[in-house]
Amino acid sequence: MTDPKTIYRLLLKLYPARFQEEYTTPLERQFWDEYRELPNSGARLLFWLRALADLAVSIPLEFARELRQDVAYAARVYRRRSMATGLALIALALAIGATTGVFSVVNAVLLRGLPFRDPGRLVQLEGYFRPETGAAGFHGWRTGTSYLADAAVYRTEEMNLSATHEARRIKAAETSANFFALLGSDPEIGRAFADGEDAPGKDNVAVIGNGLWQQFFGGDPRALGSTIHLNGVQMVVVGIAPPGFDYPGATALWTPTIFDFAHVSRARGIWWTSLGRLKPRLTLAQAGSMFRADMERQAPRALTAEERSKLRVISLRDLLSGHVRKASLVLLGVVIFVLLTACANVAHLLLSRVAERRQEMVLRAALGASRSRLVQQLITEATLLTLAAAAAGMAVAQWASRLAETAQPASLAAQAYTILDWRVFGFAAGLAMLTGLLFGVFPASLIGRMQPSAEAFLTQMGRTQAGDRHSGVSRLRGVLIAMQTAFTLMLVAGSITMGRGFLKLMRTDLGFRTDHVVTMRVALSGTAFEKRGMAYFQAALERLRAVPGVESAAAVEFLPLGKDGLIGGRFKLDGIGEGELGMIAGTTPDYFRTMGTPILRGRDFTAADERRPDPVVMVNEAFVHQFAGERDLVGRVLVSPWNEKQKYTVIGVTRTERYFGPGDDGEPQVFTAADEQSSWNMTFVARVHGKTEAYLPVCRDAIRAADPGVPVFGVETLAARFSASVAQSRFYTTAVLFFGVFALLLAVIGIYGVASFSIAQRTHEIGVRLAVGASSQRLRTMLLWQSLVPVAAGMVLGVAGAMAFGRMVEHLVDTADPIRIPMCAAAGVLLAATAAVTVWMATRRIVRMDPMRVLRAE
Amino acid sequence: MSKPKPNPIDALLPLPLPVFHMLLALTEGERHGYALKREILHRTGGKLNLGSGALYGSINKMLEQSLIEESEERPDSHLDDERRRYYRITPLGRRVAHAEAVRLRQLVELAEDSLGFPEPA
Repeated sequence: MTDPKTIYRLLLKLYPARFQEEYTTPLERQFWDEYRELPNSGARLLFWLRALADLAVSIPLEFARELRQDVAYAARVYRRRSMATGLALIALALAIGATTGVFSVVNAVLLRGLPFRDPGRLVQLEGYFRPETGAAGFHGWRTGTSYLADAAVYRTEEMNLSATHEARRIKAAETSANFFALLGSDPEIGRAFADGEDAPGKDNVAVIGNGLWQQFFGGDPRALGSTIHLNGVQMVVVGIAPPGFDYPGATALWTPTIFDFAHVSRARGIWWTSLGRLKPRLTLAQAGSMFRADMERQAPRALTAEERSKLRVISLRDLLSGHVRKASLVLLGVVIFVLLTACANVAHLLLSRVAERRQEMVLRAALGASRSRLVQQLITEATLLTLAAAAAGMAVAQWASRLAETAQPASLAAQAYTILDWRVFGFAAGLAMLTGLLFGVFPASLIGRMQPSAEAFLTQMGRTQAGDRHSGVSRLRGVLIAMQTAFTLMLVAGSITMGRGFLKLMRTDLGFRTDHVVTMRVALSGTAFEKRGMAYFQAALERLRAVPGVESAAAVEFLPLGKDGLIGGRFKLDGIGEGELGMIAGTTPDYFRTMGTPILRGRDFTAADERRPDPVVMVNEAFVHQFAGERDLVGRVLVSPWNEKQKYTVIGVTRTERYFGPGDDGEPQVFTAADEQSSWNMTFVARVHGKTEAYLPVCRDAIRAADPGVPVFGVETLAARFSASVAQSRFYTTAVLFFGVFALLLAVIGIYGVASFSIAQRTHEIGVRLAVGASSQRLRTMLLWQSLVPVAAGMVLGVAGAMAFGRMVEHLVDTADPIRIPMCAAAGVLLAATAAVTVWMATRRIVRMDPMRVLRAE
Repeated sequence: MSKPKPNPIDALLPLPLPVFHMLLALTEGERHGYALKREILHRTGGKLNLGSGALYGSINKMLEQSLIEESEERPDSHLDDERRRYYRITPLGRRVAHAEAVRLRQLVELAEDSLGFPEPA
């Protein structure tokens, strides 16, 4: 049987360190004194119960008492070193906050669920577009495949919604009737579309989003059955989507499609998206090959290699998170580096406490005191610091999460970034605890190496002044500096490459000038001008041009830096050959002058071109360059991709506009003179004199005056549009740059602290050296080289890390150059110079040292 | 009227019952922990049986408050030859115990006035 004394002794280990140290012996003895006097096992059992109850009350009390003392002591220590503590606190708060903020994005995009049933089986079918089959064809296909349990199609469009007494522009989705059933997202109130409602005459029903329901109907369930107007068409609300459901991205209203393309020219194409739910036990790859085979079988003619390559089955979950996933994971890696660097600084702070109290500890150890007391104290100090930092960090996290929201918003409302989530809170708490423990336990573990024997005590006393250099503390400090240097080098190299990439982005010639241009959009659907857009645009442009200060004004079907995709097809030159890709956009005269896009050859459109029986077009350089050997297409004839009989004469060639922004190589484009077909979706542009923002209200009023019934939206400067298009690049560049500078600052603080501490520890040695005639310059040089050893070691590691990091940077900003050796060298030189200056500054006290006074003080 | 001065003794009152008992026991001489426990058990007729944790917790706190102090370790003549740690009351401890006694007397007098206790026979 186990000795009761041993069991009791083990239980006493639960007491906090100081109490244990003082009272273990008398407690144990008293226990034994009483225990051995007990007459029988019944009495012994009773005694055990009493002893346990006594400990259960007493241990927490003593813990609370010692914690109070430790916290008070820690607070005193931190107040005394308020500068170093403040820096450590800020560093930790920023690092924990940034890491938590980025994690909130990862959590939203990767960990939180999607508002669909079994989302893992949902796929998007790319390349499937066969509108000519109509409703019957589609419904026949979707239920008959070997790989899909079901499929649905949708397309989205911005529309004018008027309900109750309000009107606004919303994103609406036109879907096959089984859309909600496929996703498994039933409306919260009311019903989804019934089978057969995607047919003419039955389609005047709508499911509205939860947000729209709140805003338009104040959340009143009587909204069901009420009438709304979508682009002037009357519809009845039959259902309200569950909260957070806004698929596809920010959709506020769903209505059945009737597979009818009469109201929009078929030639201009409509972008449909096909969704499917895979049959059970089918992998994505299997479904992909079955889908390709199915499509080839159904195609009226053999598919080209390019068409075949476009037939793909993609997981909907990947599609919805893909754009943010890699970037947020890379950013998470970056902030974890910064966190580690910040932790290294806190470790320096705590380590200097260990070293400061080293003599005291050695003395105490020699006198038989337990080291657990100091360990407990250090852990309390570290925990206190990280808890304070974590609390402050939550504010940083909130800010970081909001920043990410503007730079790279999530695809769906259900993926909105927030720190108010149990996973995010748990992550932050875990992070704080881990850092606190890591850097409380780490320095504390060093105390264990100070051997608690009198012999060690005497040896230590002999070299307390010079001793730090060779001790574990000093070694660990070296490792920490090397680690900090490595991380800093990686981040600085990353900052340089991303900064360069961003500058290059900003300097890119877009093919147009973003300054002094006002842009505005209108929506003619549901207005009096729905079928006679040109009349409206001509009247509105006249008013716009009449605004004082407006130099020129025009309208274009697809304005660069927009989110809309272009519509294009393959044009044949002179009606021969395979034909080359051209994105097509209607424009009014003066568009290129307004945009500052040079016309390289030929001429601009004139008002007369709009009424010509033989249509004319302008093309950009990128379009010209597609035709091998061609330099100038003016006067040549292009054949329409959709109609062999439709021929266009080229009248001018313009500089290529980078449609999607500076990262875009420039799409081949064909511009037609605006007509009734293109005018349904045109954007106004006006070049102005003076401060552009001041023209925004004036220009909007001028457009409104043309017809107050036409809603005007998207009123912004082209510069703002440009700024928004590079927001993501700017965000990631700024983030990495910020963290690079931050890490550099932390490294400087760390290196300075270590260097000045080592001087303080070696005062005696330095005094002796000065006394025997060493010059202060020589001593400083010696210290400099010694301090730079860990920095150099860290740089070697950092270069290797930077090369690996460089490949990841490409996931953040696709325009970033990979990190190459020169970039690393630049970062290394910057880092080494900073480190050298820092150490030199830290050693300047040696110059003022009087060797006699130093030695006398011993 | 003069301002009431902050009194370090008043801040410690009322004393927890075990602390008061321990101070009283120590006024009669130095004691080690186990002896204190036994004496209190005896004085209260077995009603106040302090557990070891509670006993040394109180001792720890009293040391901190300077109500008692350690005297040197020495063998306990009553029990065996083992060396034990002895405690003695400090002048502050004496004053605090006195103040607690006064406080309790005032309380008892108040109770007598209200309840009219019969004089002890």
